Amino acid sequence: MGKPGAGKAIWKGFINFADVNLPVKLHTSVREQHIQFHLLHKRDRARLQQQMICAYEKKPVPSEEQSKGYEAEEGKYIIISPDELEQTSPESNRIIEVHEFVKTGDIDPIFMERAYYIEPEDNPKGYNALAEALKEMDVAGICTWSMRKRNYLGALEARENIIHLNTLRYADEVVQEKSFEFKKVALSEKELKIGIDLINQLAAPFEPEKFENEHQKKLQNLIDKKARGEKIIIFRPRRLKPTAQDKLLRTLEASLKKVA
Amino acid sequence: MAEQGIWSGTISFSLVAIPVQLVRAIEPGRVSFRMLHSKDYSPLQRRMFCPEEEKIIPSEEIIRGYEIAPNKHILVTEEELESVSPERSRTIEISEFIDLNEVDPIYFGHPYYLVPSKGGEKAYRLLVEVMNRTNKAGIAKFVLDEREYFVTLKSAKGVLELITLHYYDEIIPDKDILPKEKEIDVDDKNRIKKHIKKMMADFDSEKYADRRRKKIMAILKKKLKEKKLVEAPATEEEEGETEDLVALLKKSMRPTRKKSSKGTKKKK
Repeated sequence: MGKPGAGKAIWKGFINFADVNLPVKLHTSVREQHIQFHLLHKRDRARLQQQMICAYEKKPVPSEEQSKGYEAEEGKYIIISPDELEQTSPESNRIIEVHEFVKTGDIDPIFMERAYYIEPEDNPKGYNALAEALKEMDVAGICTWSMRKRNYLGALEARENIIHLNTLRYADEVVQEKSFEFKKVALSEKELKIGIDLINQLAAPFEPEKFENEHQKKLQNLIDKKARGEKIIIFRPRRLKPTAQDKLLRTLEASLKKVA
Repeated sequence: MAEQGIWSGTISFSLVAIPVQLVRAIEPGRVSFRMLHSKDYSPLQRRMFCPEEEKIIPSEEIIRGYEIAPNKHILVTEEELESVSPERSRTIEISEFIDLNEVDPIYFGHPYYLVPSKGGEKAYRLLVEVMNRTNKAGIAKFVLDEREYFVTLKSAKGVLELITLHYYDEIIPDKDILPKEKEIDVDDKNRIKKHIKKMMADFDSEKYADRRRKKIMAILKKKLKEKKLVEAPATEEEEGETEDLVALLKKSMRPTRKKSSKGTKKKK
């Protein structure tokens, strides 16, 4: 199956910092595809609708009777109207303003939301110069812009000779690692050493084309079988037996033997 | 913070098996709103509703249907779904370890954390520690509900992050983007590099507060001062009990692309 091309631009603006002012266009870079199901009511096979139900009246509430509230105290809300929200939405000046540059590896992927391809609007030489500079220095430009009534935070990066704009999540949207606390169990140097050897044995280059969505085909198969009225054989999901603490070293040794 | 798991299963690499739970890594953010009923200020809950019976439907009465013709569905049960890839529905099998710097960020989808279940703490810590020391990340596939996810597992400050990756097929080719003109203005490039050098910093995500959020906070503070508070009527709590789990799971696993104003964003 051939891949379709990048298609139409979704937004136009300028990359701006110091004396750089580069007109650019944004393109979507990912197209997800998967089998969609509807949720149905078992009894009557009616297609279910997601509704907003009033906790007090236990009835669906139409959108014109819905308001947004900020819970200031328990059970007490400040109502904010669509007009008030509208006032806060940013005005787009079409500028992707770069504030600073960071090493590309410094941004944890947990912050990465989605990527756009950036195409030069004109001045391809200037575009190539920026792409090359980003690549040679291995840096990402941290930038902000507003688009479709939202403020975005992003990182400009060059991949091959193309500039990408990755939108970043705001820090307060990401759950901090430190919010998790679990038992810290001591590890021996030997366990660590064998663990490291094992990982090195299993090291490989990143080759995404190797990983196909096989499940999608199998799922389509299942649907086809059911459509033909064939009986489906049920398999229980595999549940592995956890490696016991006192068997970790032995399991690591056996693993290493297996892969070496 | 006792986060409830979205999924429970086992991470495996070679012969080692670690029981874990998948938990959310993304939350609504500092300013989050709840949807209320304008008439009585009662909070609204997202529920599955049967238009035929005009009733709220509990999760055990919900089934997935694949539409083969308008309003004609092939029904698929949970058991049948789990049977499609039984080896992957409860196991995240790390097949290889990669250098995460090789991954184009274009592949990154949605992030989660994996936390150890009881008895898995030691092997979990080992995996975190050795991935940290080797600077490697695991690559795996696993199935949740009707979808198979291509994922990477990395260690971050003692915790395992799971980040879904887009499949190769889903990446739109960039051949149309590349400028036809190959020439680089070298003076331009050197000038840009000089600017970049002056603008180098450490990445600190905390620094970039959302300006819009600040504006919203300002409005809220003003209203709070004016004592413009409304109160919801008391209801018998049925918190979360009837919340449709299927929908909840779907919501959680779908990339929350549109963090739009619409959702019932619950405060923690």
